[in-house]
Amino acid sequence: MRLPPRPQERIDRSRELTFFFEGEPRHGFPGDTVGSALFASGRRVFSRSFKYHRPRGLLCCSGQCPNCLMQVDGVPNVRVCTMPLREGARVRGQNVLGSLDRDVMSVVDKIGGPFTPVGFYYRTMIRPRRAWPLYERFLRNVAGLGKIDRGAGRTRRFDTEHRRVEVLVIGGGRAGIEAARAAAARGEQVVLVDEGLGPGERAAGGSFEVIAPARALGIYEGGLVPVDAGQVLIRFRARRIVVATGAIEQPLVFPGNDLVGVMLPGAVRRLTDEWSLRPGSRAVVIGADERALSVVAELRSAGTEIARVVDLRAESPRRIAAEGKKGRLASVLVDGEGLDCDLLVMSGGRQPAYSLLAQAGARIEYDAGRGVFVPIELPASVEAVGAVAGELPSGATPAATYEGGGKARGKCFVCVCEDVTTKDVRRAIAEGFDSIELAKRYTTVTMGPCQGRLCQLPSVRLYARENGTDEAAIGRTTARPPWAPVSLGLLAGRGHEPARRTSIHERHVQLGARMMWTGAWRRVHSYGDPAGEVRAVHEAVGAIDVSTLGKILVSGPDAAAFLERLYPNRFGDLRPGRIRYSVLGTDAGRIMDDGTIARLDDDRFYVTTTSTGADVVSEWLEWWNAVWGMGVEVVNLTGALAAVNVAGPRARELLGRLTDLDVSNESFSYLDAKQAHVAGVPCLLLRIGFVGELGYELHCSSPYGEYLWSTLLERGADLGLRPFGLEAQRVLRLEKQHILVGQDTDSESNALEAGMPWVVKFDKDEFVGKWALEHVRERGLRERLVGFEMTGWTVPPEGGQIVVDGRPAGRVTSARWSGELRRAIGLAWVPAALAEEDAELAIRVDGRLEQARVRLRPFLDPDGERLRS
Amino acid sequence: MKDVFRQRRMWRPRGELKRRYDVVIVGGGSHGLATAYYLAKNHGITDVAVLERSYIGSGAAGRNTTIIRSNYRTPEGVAFYGRSVELYERLAAELDFNLLFSQHGHLTLAHSDRALITMTERAEVNQLLGVDSRVVDRDGVAGLCPELNLSREVTWPIEGALYHRRGGIIRHDAVVWGLARGADRRGVEIHPGTEVTGIESSNGRVTGVRTTRGDIACDTVVSATAGWSTLVADLAGVPLPITTHILQAFVTEPLKPFLDVIIVSSQMHVYISQTDRGEILIGAEIEPYTTYLGTGTFGFLEDSARHTLELFPQLEHAAVLRQWTGLCDLSPDYSPILGVTEVGGFLVSCGWGTYGFKAAPIVGTTLAELVATGRTPELIAPFTLERFSTDSLVSELAAAAVSH
Repeated sequence: MRLPPRPQERIDRSRELTFFFEGEPRHGFPGDTVGSALFASGRRVFSRSFKYHRPRGLLCCSGQCPNCLMQVDGVPNVRVCTMPLREGARVRGQNVLGSLDRDVMSVVDKIGGPFTPVGFYYRTMIRPRRAWPLYERFLRNVAGLGKIDRGAGRTRRFDTEHRRVEVLVIGGGRAGIEAARAAAARGEQVVLVDEGLGPGERAAGGSFEVIAPARALGIYEGGLVPVDAGQVLIRFRARRIVVATGAIEQPLVFPGNDLVGVMLPGAVRRLTDEWSLRPGSRAVVIGADERALSVVAELRSAGTEIARVVDLRAESPRRIAAEGKKGRLASVLVDGEGLDCDLLVMSGGRQPAYSLLAQAGARIEYDAGRGVFVPIELPASVEAVGAVAGELPSGATPAATYEGGGKARGKCFVCVCEDVTTKDVRRAIAEGFDSIELAKRYTTVTMGPCQGRLCQLPSVRLYARENGTDEAAIGRTTARPPWAPVSLGLLAGRGHEPARRTSIHERHVQLGARMMWTGAWRRVHSYGDPAGEVRAVHEAVGAIDVSTLGKILVSGPDAAAFLERLYPNRFGDLRPGRIRYSVLGTDAGRIMDDGTIARLDDDRFYVTTTSTGADVVSEWLEWWNAVWGMGVEVVNLTGALAAVNVAGPRARELLGRLTDLDVSNESFSYLDAKQAHVAGVPCLLLRIGFVGELGYELHCSSPYGEYLWSTLLERGADLGLRPFGLEAQRVLRLEKQHILVGQDTDSESNALEAGMPWVVKFDKDEFVGKWALEHVRERGLRERLVGFEMTGWTVPPEGGQIVVDGRPAGRVTSARWSGELRRAIGLAWVPAALAEEDAELAIRVDGRLEQARVRLRPFLDPDGERLRS
Repeated sequence: MKDVFRQRRMWRPRGELKRRYDVVIVGGGSHGLATAYYLAKNHGITDVAVLERSYIGSGAAGRNTTIIRSNYRTPEGVAFYGRSVELYERLAAELDFNLLFSQHGHLTLAHSDRALITMTERAEVNQLLGVDSRVVDRDGVAGLCPELNLSREVTWPIEGALYHRRGGIIRHDAVVWGLARGADRRGVEIHPGTEVTGIESSNGRVTGVRTTRGDIACDTVVSATAGWSTLVADLAGVPLPITTHILQAFVTEPLKPFLDVIIVSSQMHVYISQTDRGEILIGAEIEPYTTYLGTGTFGFLEDSARHTLELFPQLEHAAVLRQWTGLCDLSPDYSPILGVTEVGGFLVSCGWGTYGFKAAPIVGTTLAELVATGRTPELIAPFTLERFSTDSLVSELAAAAVSH
């Protein structure tokens, strides 16, 4: 089937590649694409169309149109005309019921046409409503093109590369190469990218880099040009971008213009020149410019007989129609003259491929003289050269449509991707979809895989004619990125979303901990026995890794004033070596975080935050520092420091074994902060009690964390020390009614209604959110966060509802079984009227209402005697 | 059936603007057209002009990701959107226009214990108010969407989900066109290509609007302009606590049916569905910065692709066909602002964030009732602009971090 060797051919005839089409072996050469090899094997039908399942063959042969979409090695919607042939490739047709040559669904084309005019689905299948799912099931199954293998996994990870260049040239045609040479000659660093395989040769000898085949996906924010280079995504930033994307050959609109054997000139040129294939044995050529008509010479050299050449610059036929047998071109009628042929080369001129320029911000206008849309007013640092800039040889503007007349009543397609005919467009206009954007959405012209490359201009011409106006008045639809389809796999790259682990993580794993996700952190849920862990803290001593806590050092001469102004609680009078708790409020008085603040000395404060709030609080502090311009430095030490909380009645005894510090209650009392060595490790010791027992938080440099932890466990073993996880901590803090910000509070919660009025110092001159909290105080509390205990033994779900008169009136934010108290306890938001000791609550559990009673004070140790012991 | 074969105009060609209308609606999107439609249908008020700067449905109505659901967090929100879903279910028959509303179910994934608490809260509120919604565990998720990657060896393993059976997707343009046709047939005038440049008032009451096609006198102006709301309200001298952000989405090339349910992951800022045309439709979180610039970003594609493949590794070869952006009018509490303002006769529908399209029919019915009777319907009373002066916010925030 191949022609004798030709000078420009790309194939290497010395070696044969074998691939499989529908399971049958086929052959090709290195340098072939899957498409050219299939064409060489005699295949002419490459796909079935979207709606009518009409047979379709090669049309553009340059990766623009939808006609050669196939499954290759399980990948759907591959444009095989540009996909290089690989040994062993497995190729299949798609969107067919049966085979490409005999597709059962093509019945839609034969008899379904009249029943399925444009938008038919909007006017049918409305009643009865319950039948719609069945209709829809059918519609969904006939729609869509390629198939996804449901069981497939990732096959590989693609890389992303970041590159900076002085000049990036997009497009390796004549103009692109010239621009690249010129820039390189000026000594600029130049990279040229091109979709095809050819530019390497054309650029030979140039002192610039060529990346091909590679497709520029768009000109994005800040001049970012991502390039799909097959195995790698290159993110280019260039000082200057030269767009040389050329122009796209446009089809003519006439009945039968989609038949197999109707091609654009570029397809003919590529088949003959690059792959030495004869596109047909007898051809009719209809073209509007020199470039299109020049294929006649190529066809002759390939041995194709020329039946007729219609030069639209010289003659203006009124009627053109193609007729076929079984979807294959058999003859062409030009003004009544019938011409038998198996190839029709058509061209309605070339449309500048302006999409990248439009995305970059260029204005696109219709040029009536040349009959195409051209880019004008380019943004700075973007240039257009060659055909895309409108440098096109003069040609004729073809008619919007050619009528077939007589017996020629074949479908006349404006858009081959979506099977939209001229009749559909006329109907849409008659129905009132008279703007191009409305019509696009109704007929779906330009919404298919070619993204308007082949259908934008023809549809605009048709619109102009049908509306009795010109193309400029119709305008165009927005060109949306990406310029070329790009796979999710390539876009995804490798992904860098690392999980965060504390420096003690491996010890937890060794202890058999069950881990859980809290934000980016991996934390210990429990070591297998949360109830036992709780008991150990109450009766002996426990240790928990709290390295995930946010740890921020605030220092400088204004540090005290800064915190005073930021937090609702008072910090100006906090003595060095002392600790105070506060919530942190937004400017609307809402709780955004909470934590303890220790004053290390006059000018330094150690601020802790919740685990998930560290970054937000750190940013918040820096923001206000910038706004107020105070003498303060904020350093986020979260990752640099590890922390372990040691809590329980025997915590002091354990600590005493490991430090020289006087740990007696008199010299190291509740809410004291001290610096000392523990097990030889320099630590900041905070005596605080989130879990309600006597406890010390030991903060040290991260690399020491593991050692400190191991030593604590070893030296505490005989005291009954057990490591405990988050689950035990949740129970322990709940027994004390200590809140978890983000779980017990939401974006609208304030400190007054959350039951912490003591945190808010209204007598301070100013603090962030003060006005809002004053407003809350004046309007009175509407809801309250309160403790509750269940009457029965059921633990209500967190998120469960407090029901009043059958309606949701409040919600459970935390609930657990307390082994110490032998009952189910929790925290809940309730209407202010119910926020009284012993008030009865009805909580919905599994659809039933369960009784609970409000408890305003901590369930355990309400006076904090254990904390202070 | 005969309509299939007969060409019938959907609406009259745009006519001349009159000098006066009873009601002027600014914005020819789903809310503006729904309000016009229900004004005519429910209240017989037909001297109404809908003014649209561009073409109908050109804004958020034609750019959203078409998800309809009612599994909100606050009782106020659930009641409101619940009614909206009911109206949507009947709308196709009422408009005699198939809106392709497919209720295949909606799964909001939980990737942590705390997310499960939020899901539980929503399910409980939903159930109390009669909305079909429940929490399912990992096995339940696997049963509803076997294609999902439930492995624990991923950045964000799936712990469970909130399942909303009646959630679904609809053809958004069809909603716009159906409402436009319904309004037009009842006498409402639709004026595309007509931009409002001023809103006149006297003694604290609206008296008319200025447009690029001439001035109009009227007693009532309804602004349904989504991302442009603050600019339009500014013409009336009404400040709104709203910021405008973009939200981005993209579709892949069409594929054979792969995914029936809608998958939402707030944690990963992504939601995924497959349209009836076969495209996989993927949307993201609202961008954190404010802008009116409608150009999409590449980082959005990369992030969304990464997150999508965490959930559906099978989609590795699916190719992105086009991306786009829409404007979102974000209120401080993620709940809408609906109804009267301090200027008499100037009503707003705004503050929708990402929820506006879901509410079109209920906004239409309630705003029409407000215009006709002068009384704020109970269903939208919690959403008045006044709530920002009285500190009575309705926080959908927990549900809002990408819960489309």
